Amino acid sequence: MGTYIARRLLQSILVMLGVTLLSFLTLHLAGDPTYLYVSERASEQEIIDTRQKLGFDRPLPVQYFDFLGRLLQGDLGTSLRARKPALELVMERLPATLELTLFAMFLSTILAIPIGIYSATKRGTPLDGGIMLFAMLGQSIPGFWLGIMLILSVGLGLRWLPISGHIPVIQPALEGDISTAISNVPNALLHLIMPGITVGVFSLSRNARLVRSSMLEVLSQDYIVTARSKGLAERRITFNHAFRNALIPVVTILGLEFGFLLSGVVVAETVFSWPGVGRLVFNAINQRDIPLVQASVVLFSLLFVMLNLIVDLLYAQLDPRIRLN
Amino acid sequence: MSRKSRFSLLFIVLLLVTMPMVIQAQTPDETTLVIAQSVDVGALEPALINSRAESNIFNHLYGTLFEISESGTLDPYLATSYTISEDGTEWTFTLNEGLTCHDGEALTADYVVYSFQRAADPANAFTGNTAGFVFPSVGYVDARVDGDLEATIITDRAQSEPLRLGLLSEVYIHCQDYYSSITLEEAAENPVGSGPYRFVEWVRDDYVLIEKVPDYTLRTAGFDQIYWRVIPEASTRVAELIAGNVDIIANVPPDQVAAVDNSGSATVQAVSGTRRMYVGFQFGEAFADAPGYEAIQNTDVRVALQHAIDVPTICATLLGTDCERASSMVNPPNNNPELSPYTYDAAEAERLLDEAGYPRGENGVRFEITLMGPRGRYLNDANVVQAIGQYLTDVGVQTTVEILDWSSDYLPRVREKNVGPLFFLGSGGSTWSALYDMADLSAPTAGTNYTNWMNEEWFSLWDSTAGLDPAAEREVVNEMLEVFYNDPPWLLLYFQPDFYGVSNRIEWQARRDEQIVVYGATLK
Repeated sequence: MGTYIARRLLQSILVMLGVTLLSFLTLHLAGDPTYLYVSERASEQEIIDTRQKLGFDRPLPVQYFDFLGRLLQGDLGTSLRARKPALELVMERLPATLELTLFAMFLSTILAIPIGIYSATKRGTPLDGGIMLFAMLGQSIPGFWLGIMLILSVGLGLRWLPISGHIPVIQPALEGDISTAISNVPNALLHLIMPGITVGVFSLSRNARLVRSSMLEVLSQDYIVTARSKGLAERRITFNHAFRNALIPVVTILGLEFGFLLSGVVVAETVFSWPGVGRLVFNAINQRDIPLVQASVVLFSLLFVMLNLIVDLLYAQLDPRIRLN
Repeated sequence: MSRKSRFSLLFIVLLLVTMPMVIQAQTPDETTLVIAQSVDVGALEPALINSRAESNIFNHLYGTLFEISESGTLDPYLATSYTISEDGTEWTFTLNEGLTCHDGEALTADYVVYSFQRAADPANAFTGNTAGFVFPSVGYVDARVDGDLEATIITDRAQSEPLRLGLLSEVYIHCQDYYSSITLEEAAENPVGSGPYRFVEWVRDDYVLIEKVPDYTLRTAGFDQIYWRVIPEASTRVAELIAGNVDIIANVPPDQVAAVDNSGSATVQAVSGTRRMYVGFQFGEAFADAPGYEAIQNTDVRVALQHAIDVPTICATLLGTDCERASSMVNPPNNNPELSPYTYDAAEAERLLDEAGYPRGENGVRFEITLMGPRGRYLNDANVVQAIGQYLTDVGVQTTVEILDWSSDYLPRVREKNVGPLFFLGSGGSTWSALYDMADLSAPTAGTNYTNWMNEEWFSLWDSTAGLDPAAEREVVNEMLEVFYNDPPWLLLYFQPDFYGVSNRIEWQARRDEQIVVYGATLK
C-alpha cells in the first residue's frame, strides 16, 4: 500500500507539472497579455514599459522556470490585478465554491442513489419511465439556460428564492465566528438552492441513471437469485447484497465528480453572481492574470489528484478482491 | 400524525415563513442605493484603475483637482483655480481651504504632490490609468509644493488647456500620511480617500460598500450608503432590477429593454455614448497584397463607401435604439457644426465607385475585401460587423467578414496594427475636449493610429494646436475635421448607445461618458 501511495504521489507531481506547463503556454499563446494592462490609447513606449513592469518581456522558459522555482518555495506569485498573493486570493474564495460544490454534490449523489435504486427496483413501471425521462432532460439542458430560467420563474416570477448573491457559512466558521455561521445557515440555504440545482442537475441525472443500470446488473446476478430463493426480504437483498456491489462504479464516478462539479461552477457562479473560485479563475483568464491562473491550476489539480487517490484507496475497502499493488 | 411527519411539516412551515423575509431583506431601504455593474474592481488602489467600472466607484471615494461635469465642462473640485506658466509647461493649482481626508488628515498641497509622485514612482510599477495614460499624455515630469494650498504639476510640453485639465482631472488625490505608512498590498484593500463617500467593506466579486462622509461640503450625497454589487450576467442584473433589489444597472441588453420598461418597477435610459464606432481603412503596407487594399487607398472609394452603410437601420434593428450617425471622430457638441453626416444612398455609393474606376465586373463584383471585427467587446458587435459586410457586398464590394475573439486575437492584432484591410473598432471619447477625441491620430506613428493614416495636412495642423487660445484652437480643430471628412481614414458609423436600467423609486440621470455618478441621486 505504501509503495502504491508513493508511486501515485510521484505521478501526481508529474501531472501537476504538465498541467501548469500547459496552462502557462495556453495563456501565452492567446496573445500578449500586456495589452490588457494598458489604456486603449497607450503608446508603443507605454506598452513596452508595462511589459517590462509585468515581467512579460522575459523569454517564456525563463518566466516558467521562475514560476517553478517559486512554487518549490511555496510561493505561487502575486496577482497582477489585485496586487495580492495569488494563493491567498484563491483560498479566500474557496469556501464559497466549496459550499456550492458540496451542495451540488449532495444533490447529485445523496439524491441520485435512492432515485437510482428506486428506479431499478421498479423497472419497467411508469414511475421508472418518468424518472428516466427527467434524467434524460437533466443531462440535456444547458446549465446556463437552466440558471436563467430558474431566476425568471422561481426568483422573479414566484419570488420564492433570492435571485442572486451569496451568504457565507464556511468562511465565518473558519474565522471562528460560529454564531454568525449558524445564523447564516437558513438564508445561505435559500441562496444555494437555485445555483446548486444548476450545478448539480447534470450529475444528478447521470448518477441516477448509473446507479439504476449498475443495480439492474447486480440484481440479475446468480447470488441475488439465490438470496431470493432463500426467502430473504427484498429490502434486505437490495441494500445488503446488491447495493454494496452496485456502488463500485458509482464511487469511481464520485472521484471525478468533484472535479467535474468544480469545473461546472463557473457558469452558475456567473449567472447567480456567486463570488467563488470559478469566477475568479474565469476573470483571471480573461485578464491574463497569469500568476492567479497558475495558482488556481496548481491548487485544483492537487485537489483533484488527491481525491482520485482517495477513491482508489476506497476501492480496496469496498471490494477486498481489488489489490492496489 | 407521526412524530417524523410533524417535524417535516414544521420544517416546511418555517421555510415558507422565512422565505419571504429573506426576499424582503434584499430590497434596499430608503437610505441605501444599490448599483450593479458587470465587473468588480481588481484592487482598491487608485493608481491601478483601468476600467470604467472601477473609476465609477473611485469617483465617489476620491476627490480630484477638477471634475468633468455631465455636460462636459471642467469644474473646480478640490482645487478652486489654476494658473499656467508662460511656456505652458507648469500648472499651479490652488486648493480649497479646510479639506480633510477620510481619516481626518488635513488635505494640503503636499498631498497633491504626493499623489502624483506616488503614481509616477517606477518602484511602485503602477499600470493604471494615471501612470499608464494620463502622465504620458500630458508629458508629466514632476510635481512640487509651492505653498500650503498650492501645488504645481510640471510637464515637458505646452498643451491644449481643456485637454490637459481634463486629463489631470482623472488623477485621484490620496492622503499622504496614511498611504506612506502602509504597504502597497495593504493599500490595495483599504482605501482612504478624499471624496464624498468613504470605504466600508469589500467582498471580492460580490460588492463594495461605501458610506456618506458627514459634513462633506464639496459635493452633495443623496444616499447614506451605496452598494456597488457585481452581477456579471446581464439577465440576472435585469431580474434584480425588476425585482426591486437593485436601483441602477449598467449595460442592459437591447433585447431586454422592453421587459424592463414594461415591468412597472424600472425604466431604461438610453443615452448616446461617447465611444466612436467606425470601420478603419488600413493604409499599412503590410496589407499591400491583400485583396481590396489598393482600392481603399483611393480617397474617392473611401468616400463612396461612406454612403453604402445604412447606419440608422443598424442602430434601430441591432442596437435597439435610434442613433445619430457621426459626422466626424469628435463627439458633439465639440464637433465641426459645418459637417453633415454622410447619408445612406446605395445608388450614390455605386455611382461614386464607378467614377473612382471600380465598376461592377461581369459577376457584379467591383473588388473583394476582408472586414475584420471582434466578438464580445462592443454592443452586438459581431452582428453589426455582419450587417456592414452585407451592405458593402450589396454595392458590389464583395466583403468577407472575419469575426475574432476580442482579448485573445483581435486586441493584440489591433495593437500591432495588424487588422484589415477593413476593421471594425470603437474608441472611447469625451464630452470635454475635441482634441481628446482626435488624439487617436496625434501622430503618424501614434499607437492608436491603427489605420496608419499619413495625411500630412492633418498632422501638421495637429502640431500647431499646442498652446493656442480656445478660439484659435477651435478654428484649427474645425479645419482638421474637414480634412478628416474629405480624406476619411474611418468609415464613420455611430456613437455607441449605452443603456442604463433605473428603478422607479429613484431620480437619477445617466451620463453620456459611461460614468455612473450618483451624488445627486435621490428618492422620488
